[in-house]
Amino acid sequence: MGDEYPTLFRSEQMSLVQLIVPTEVAHDTIAELGELGNVQFKDLNPDVNPFQRSFVGEIRRIDEMARRVRFFASQIEKEKEPIPIRPLYDSAPLVTVGPRAAQTLDELDVKLAEHEERLTQMNDSYQLLSERLRELVEARHVLRETAQFFEQAAVRETEVRTSLDDSSAPLLQHDDREQQFGGGDLQFDLEFVAGTIDRARLSTFERVLWRVLRGNLYMNYIDIQEPFVDPATGAETRKNVFIIFAHGDILLSKIRKVAESMGATIYPIDVNPDKRADSMREVTGRLEDLQIVLYNTGANRRTELMTIGESLASWQDVVAKEKLIYETLNLLNYDVRRKTLIAEGWCPTRDISQIQLALRHATEESGTNVPPILHELRTNRTPPTFHRTNKFTEGFQTIMDAYGIATYQEVNPGLFAVITFPFLFAVMFGDIGHGFIIFTAAVVMILSERKLAKADLGEIFGTFFFGRYIILLMGLFSIYTGFLYNDIFSKSLHLFHSGWDVNNGTAVSNGHTYPFGIDPAWHGAENGLLFTNSYKMKMSIVLGVIHMTFAVCLQVPNHIRFKRFSDIYTNFIPQMIFLQSIFGYLVICIIYKWTVDWDKASTQPPSLLNMLISMVLSPGSVDPESQLYPGQSTVQVILLLLAAVCVPWLLITKPYLQWQEMKKIQGQGYIGLGADDVPRHTDDTTLEGEEEGNGRAVVEANDEEHEEHDFSEVVVHQVIHTIEFCLGCVSHTASYLRLWALSLAHAQLSEVLWDMTLSNVLGMPGLVGIVALVIVGVLWLVLTISILCVMEGLSAFLHALRLHWVEANSKHYEAGGYQFVPLSFARLNEKQ
Amino acid sequence: MEALLFNVSGGFLEGIVRGYKAGLLTQNQYNNLTQCETIEDFRTQLSATDYGNFLANEPLPISTSTISDKATQLLVDQFNYLRSNAVEPLSRFLEYMTYAYMIDNVILIITGTLHGRNTNELLQRCHPLGVFDTMPALCVATNVEELYHTVLVETPLAPYFRDSVTAADLDDLNIEIIRNTLYKAYLEDFDAFCQSLGAPTADVMHRILAFEADRRAINITINSFGTQLSKEQRAKLFPTIGRLFPEGNNTLARADDIDQVRQAVEPVAEYRAFFDTAPGAGGGRPNGAGSESTANLLGDLGELGAAAELEDRFFVHEVHLNKLAFLQQFQYAVFYSYIKLKEQEIRSVTWIAECIAQNARDRIHDFIPTF
Repeated sequence: MGDEYPTLFRSEQMSLVQLIVPTEVAHDTIAELGELGNVQFKDLNPDVNPFQRSFVGEIRRIDEMARRVRFFASQIEKEKEPIPIRPLYDSAPLVTVGPRAAQTLDELDVKLAEHEERLTQMNDSYQLLSERLRELVEARHVLRETAQFFEQAAVRETEVRTSLDDSSAPLLQHDDREQQFGGGDLQFDLEFVAGTIDRARLSTFERVLWRVLRGNLYMNYIDIQEPFVDPATGAETRKNVFIIFAHGDILLSKIRKVAESMGATIYPIDVNPDKRADSMREVTGRLEDLQIVLYNTGANRRTELMTIGESLASWQDVVAKEKLIYETLNLLNYDVRRKTLIAEGWCPTRDISQIQLALRHATEESGTNVPPILHELRTNRTPPTFHRTNKFTEGFQTIMDAYGIATYQEVNPGLFAVITFPFLFAVMFGDIGHGFIIFTAAVVMILSERKLAKADLGEIFGTFFFGRYIILLMGLFSIYTGFLYNDIFSKSLHLFHSGWDVNNGTAVSNGHTYPFGIDPAWHGAENGLLFTNSYKMKMSIVLGVIHMTFAVCLQVPNHIRFKRFSDIYTNFIPQMIFLQSIFGYLVICIIYKWTVDWDKASTQPPSLLNMLISMVLSPGSVDPESQLYPGQSTVQVILLLLAAVCVPWLLITKPYLQWQEMKKIQGQGYIGLGADDVPRHTDDTTLEGEEEGNGRAVVEANDEEHEEHDFSEVVVHQVIHTIEFCLGCVSHTASYLRLWALSLAHAQLSEVLWDMTLSNVLGMPGLVGIVALVIVGVLWLVLTISILCVMEGLSAFLHALRLHWVEANSKHYEAGGYQFVPLSFARLNEKQ
Repeated sequence: MEALLFNVSGGFLEGIVRGYKAGLLTQNQYNNLTQCETIEDFRTQLSATDYGNFLANEPLPISTSTISDKATQLLVDQFNYLRSNAVEPLSRFLEYMTYAYMIDNVILIITGTLHGRNTNELLQRCHPLGVFDTMPALCVATNVEELYHTVLVETPLAPYFRDSVTAADLDDLNIEIIRNTLYKAYLEDFDAFCQSLGAPTADVMHRILAFEADRRAINITINSFGTQLSKEQRAKLFPTIGRLFPEGNNTLARADDIDQVRQAVEPVAEYRAFFDTAPGAGGGRPNGAGSESTANLLGDLGELGAAAELEDRFFVHEVHLNKLAFLQQFQYAVFYSYIKLKEQEIRSVTWIAECIAQNARDRIHDFIPTF
């Protein structure tokens, strides 16, 4: 079986393999298998705590390295001007396998640590310098603003002072002070505190001060225009310069204390304008020096980051890979002598030779001569499900996997979805023009897929890109159904000679038959909608019944494969008869009705819906007025009886067979022993003889619970199954009417769009006509793409999805498997 | 009725908080944590829990205070998320919860300032949930009246403070009295607020707050033995919403030694167990000391061990009560309980980390598990 050509019809045949790996090649072996990416390792130490496993030390070291690499990455990201990171495919590979592997890793570790140390040092000094720079800038602001304030105040002060002098004699104390400060031009008798504070806290600050000093203060503040940027976090803070006048040492010290605790910075400002100018000069000078130093430090830091950026991608890659390798190694089991590691895992049977090749390669690489040994194990456990997809089938398979992972070796509906999915979509989306638009979009994505695959596309566009082949087929099929409906942007094509001649409002048949699709004469006809409605409705029923019949038929390969032959006549045949005797009959009637020329018939065309209802409600009586064919009532009674028989058939036979089998087994005197133990015993003894006991799987204890042949369970299951199927047939057939509804809605919507935009301006003459045509044409195109193609397309997509998941999958798909998740470095990259 | 309308505004957040609660460490995870050999193991082990990678970007070696800070930060983030999504009356309820932290912070700062600590250092040690704008200005105050008029008057704590304003200077005893008066007023107010919300929040919260009140009453009594605190003053500090109120409170007010305290709590069956073997059993632990500096400041040295032991039992009972709160739906007590349980969990985690760091493995199991 393993040599069969790979197919999507069933999932890959899997084998449980055991690897016996000498410790010295373990790392390289896992690395090689990770590159290969088709072994899923099992956890052989499920009871061991994650931190008690064998390779915790290594993982911790890798974690530390990963932290450093993350640190570098975040530092590079924060940099305002982007620093180039050399992409992985462009950088020299770091070889971490082979005899020098450990050394390479050690070197890398040391290198990372060095870089980190250097970078943190630079960061620290940079931050320190920036901090100092910030202080100086603030100091300069405070100096400048207070100077302004003093100048303004000085003018006013003189005015006030003169007026005071006039009215009252100065006190003695005042005189003293005047003399004391006589040297300065203009002085204040109030002490003050000046500094900067975060603008957000200013109001609180003012409030608190007001209360603390009981209002005995004068406060002035000015906004600093430019924000201060924290170099470490890049956060902006806006600050204010404040100056507070108060009287008395105690109050001043209180102000200082409050200011400090509120996070303000206080700068000593001198009252004397000369000294202020001096300090201003000093500050400016220091500021310039500092800026130069800061620039140099920044440049150094940037160079360092550039060096890091050169090899960051390869470091990230190596670290991620190594972590994965050691995590996998932790799943393995040491043998008693701790010389070899034992691994167990699933792999596709087809790939075993490839894996063996990889193992040999790993041995050669690492320079030892003890190769890892691989052999297959016999097991009764269900292997994981693995569908080998390519870029074309991947999208379709994902649609089905989203519903449920197929049971191992079950018929895979993903294969048929490749055709049925775009087709059902197209039935709802049929329009040559719209189909062509999405087809072109898909073609563009496919042609540039190499480029797009590398770029980060974002979630929404990424999803469309992932489904590009689905979109391609959806477009193609839409063009096809568009021809069938003869619909292009709500207009019709006159490809062939029409079958009707229109003479002043009435159409007369000219004996011609339109060879393909709907006759364009129907377009715009008064009863055109009536005709297409009836046609599309019947067509959706026909398609639906065919689709469901096909889905029911897919049970058969499953029953044969899993050797449940009785299911063919307990499940498949009654289901088939039930479906066909009611809905298959309806389909035949539909087709028969189409073939009859009702103009020449003796009876009126019957309503098929009423026919079906009366077939069930009043069996045996058919109104001769609406008879479709002679002998109709007899046929219908027989069909109804057939369907009625199927229900108890479906309900009873399977449980009965099971019950009989159980009786037989009990009658032979067997009791419910672990069914899997008996045959294995003999196998294992022979195996052990050959291979000294290596053939047994290491972890056998946690086998899946073996199937309980509980009779009541079978009965309940079958009852549910029967009810579900019989009711489901009715509702599912009705559900396919959504094909008609959506297709109708789509056609009407595009017609409305045409009528409301382009058709109004097409006939307009002159320059106005051209301008209007351009504007309205653009509007029409935008609306066509956004509403008709994208929104309507998504809606049709969802309905096609539902028809597959609910209507078709419920007929045959068990979906009880679990996904095959191999150890693979390629997957790792995808995740990143 | 609350079953009909609760979810309109509270359903989402209750769901969130119950989700948070499901992320609390289980007994099994605690066992794994206690088996760790080093802090690095500890980190690996924690990363498998709901804490996730909260320490992943910390350079080694990690100090236990970092662990505690980071864990508290997680709690604060969660609380802020809840608070920013809450509407009345839940937002009021959550606000009330922060008052307790505010009281602690106020007391921390004025005590620290009194002992001449650096203000910035004090501010960093404040609990982030109880931070308010004008808090830094607390350090300016030198007496109680100033304290009230400069800072507290515009905080939500002002009404609690109004009754205890005296011109007295700030000293250790006064600070303790302030703390306990504030707490008494706070607990009574919070309880009244919960009662106004009606059942079932009122029922569940009353149970928790009543225990909190009794716990404070017992602590005040025990810690005031042998201090200058007069019995009348002591009686004034007892919250009046506990299960011991009124006769238990009266007995406590007259108590002179631990035996009389035991007699006072005798009528309440659950509390009887606290004193069963309390004296004599050795070994206090610093776990609760952060929030309960009463024990250290006023406590008699001889009874300190017993008091710490008692403290542990209180914690266990508190955890028990908080766990019970989750059994009832459509009420706000789950928010309170979750925060309390998470705090307890952070204390336990820090305790374990501390034991690992100091190699005191014999006492590593002395934490209080939550679930």
